[in-house]
Amino acid sequence: MSSRSEIFGAIQALEKREIAHPGDFKSYKATQDVVGDFKNSLSIVGAICVDAENKQEAATRLSEIYPDLQRYTSQDVVANGLDLEAVDVLEIDGMFGVAENGAIWLSDQFLPNRVAPFICQHLVIYVAKSEIVATLHEVYERLDGNYADFGLFLSGPSKTADIEQSLVIGAHGARSLTVILV
Amino acid sequence: MLNHAEASEKFIEDAERTTWHDETLWFVRSKRDKVSKLLPEWEALREQASQIKDHTLANLGQYLEEFEANAKKNGIIVHWAKDAQEHNEIVHSIISKHGGKALVKSKSMLTEECHLNDFLTKKGVEVVDTDLGERIVQFRNEVPSHIVLPAIHLKKEDVGETFHEFLGTPKGNKDPQFLTEAARQHLRGYFLGANVAITGVNFAVAETGEFVVCTNEGNADMGAHLAKVHIACMGIEKMIPKRKDLGVFLRLLARSATGQLITTYSSHFAKPREGQEMHIVLVDNGRTRQLARDEFRNSLKCIRCAACFNTCPVYRRSGGHSYHQPVAGPIGSILAPNFDKSANVDLPFASTLCGSCSNVCPVKINIHEQLWFWRQDLMKDGLAPLGKSLSMKGMAFVFSNPTIFKMAGYMGRMVMRFAPFIVNNSLNPWFKQREMPEAPKESFQSWYKNRK
Repeated sequence: MSSRSEIFGAIQALEKREIAHPGDFKSYKATQDVVGDFKNSLSIVGAICVDAENKQEAATRLSEIYPDLQRYTSQDVVANGLDLEAVDVLEIDGMFGVAENGAIWLSDQFLPNRVAPFICQHLVIYVAKSEIVATLHEVYERLDGNYADFGLFLSGPSKTADIEQSLVIGAHGARSLTVILV
Repeated sequence: MLNHAEASEKFIEDAERTTWHDETLWFVRSKRDKVSKLLPEWEALREQASQIKDHTLANLGQYLEEFEANAKKNGIIVHWAKDAQEHNEIVHSIISKHGGKALVKSKSMLTEECHLNDFLTKKGVEVVDTDLGERIVQFRNEVPSHIVLPAIHLKKEDVGETFHEFLGTPKGNKDPQFLTEAARQHLRGYFLGANVAITGVNFAVAETGEFVVCTNEGNADMGAHLAKVHIACMGIEKMIPKRKDLGVFLRLLARSATGQLITTYSSHFAKPREGQEMHIVLVDNGRTRQLARDEFRNSLKCIRCAACFNTCPVYRRSGGHSYHQPVAGPIGSILAPNFDKSANVDLPFASTLCGSCSNVCPVKINIHEQLWFWRQDLMKDGLAPLGKSLSMKGMAFVFSNPTIFKMAGYMGRMVMRFAPFIVNNSLNPWFKQREMPEAPKESFQSWYKNRK
């Protein structure tokens, strides 16, 4: 007998128990100011937040934040993940921002490569103010039926506290995250 | 092998380090309290998560089937393993097909449970743990002492020494920033060169056939997206029914674990990337046995946040290695007897039954009650050490016999008043690290009778 049928056999041998799924979770509407809360969460998770009226203003601010570093956009970089090792600053688009935790939903439809947000040294994500929601639940609602082959919530730069609980920014992923609100 | 009490005794020999360990974990617990109180719906989320898990466990067969069908539709290759041995063999057979000699692995408690690293090393495969804490303990030939903070038993001086030995960092440098940078450079080389990446799984979604992996460092993604082959290993209890349920669990997990709002990365893997091979190994290894036990079934709801570790007064002062199991702490103590009762008979007793673990559990597992159920089960099976079963019998005899109880109380008071050296010595385990209390002049009963 295969292990698969052994496992299913063991489960089916159990007495049937009727326990209903509780249904979708309704979050309490606690915040009116999703943009303000999102900014606050970004500062907690160690991201830099920039308000920009237009692309021009964003570019100016970015050259102040990352002077002397070459910036690339999704269009500039090729699809080979390994080549991205050499990228200092990568600018990408995020789909949704989440006010409660500073997370940004990224879908591989808008990424040059799945490894892109991880392997570059510094990451810049553009988020539209109109696409900021209060909690994770709203993101899943908005995504309903639209399943990326790969997608993620990204909140802040990569970090670790594995040495004596001292927070260190820049473990294996990006060393900094700048979020541009447009 | 040392039992929990013996191993703890070694751990607390260094009083300063024990205090540091205790206070550091309590600090993590306090952060959890702070962020959880910022959410007005915190308790509703816990209740929701608990009910979703109860529902999933009651319909596990159906959800596993649905998950398998959807994962296959997504192009993922699905494997089933009934035990640790089969899991390890499946993983090894995938690796050998691709001729890999080195592989990168992110944190997976399941692979610890299956002792995958040992198995692969013996077969000549170099396993590189890429989580910083796990890499540190791997260099030291140790195992993680905490499921979320693997190197919490070590001080930065220890890590500095280890990195000096293995990575050639300057002797005496113990700066966490510097040491983390050294690990980043060291592991990048492995990420860029590895053929095969192994990750764990935090949640598997039946509805979509996708799985979610959470890290702060980004190591799971660095491995999985660069390697030609991605192998994800999971216990069959990691299942959740729908994608929308993820919102509930992702809101609870990091807040409970480290007091963060969410982990830096929560990656949803649905399909392999172009040209990549993606495997999932679904492992039973005793889980269906636990599922059949009414009192212990809901230990399978665990999402491995370790909130119960951080709050436990015994864990904080005894260290993870004293539990001699891959999963330590209160939850480990109720999982371990399922694997091997006689080897883990000490663990359900490594608790004060204060109940703090159950109070912080994000999926509402009745951990402290299950510890007590295991104690009864192990005593009934005659597995308790002779001293414990004799003293239990003695206590039962004294407590059921009022005359003898009165006499014993009288004798106890007399001994403590007039011959304290009989109890105040190293033969009495209650005297260790404690002053014995002053004996009262009379018993409560006689005080009650004689009161005016």
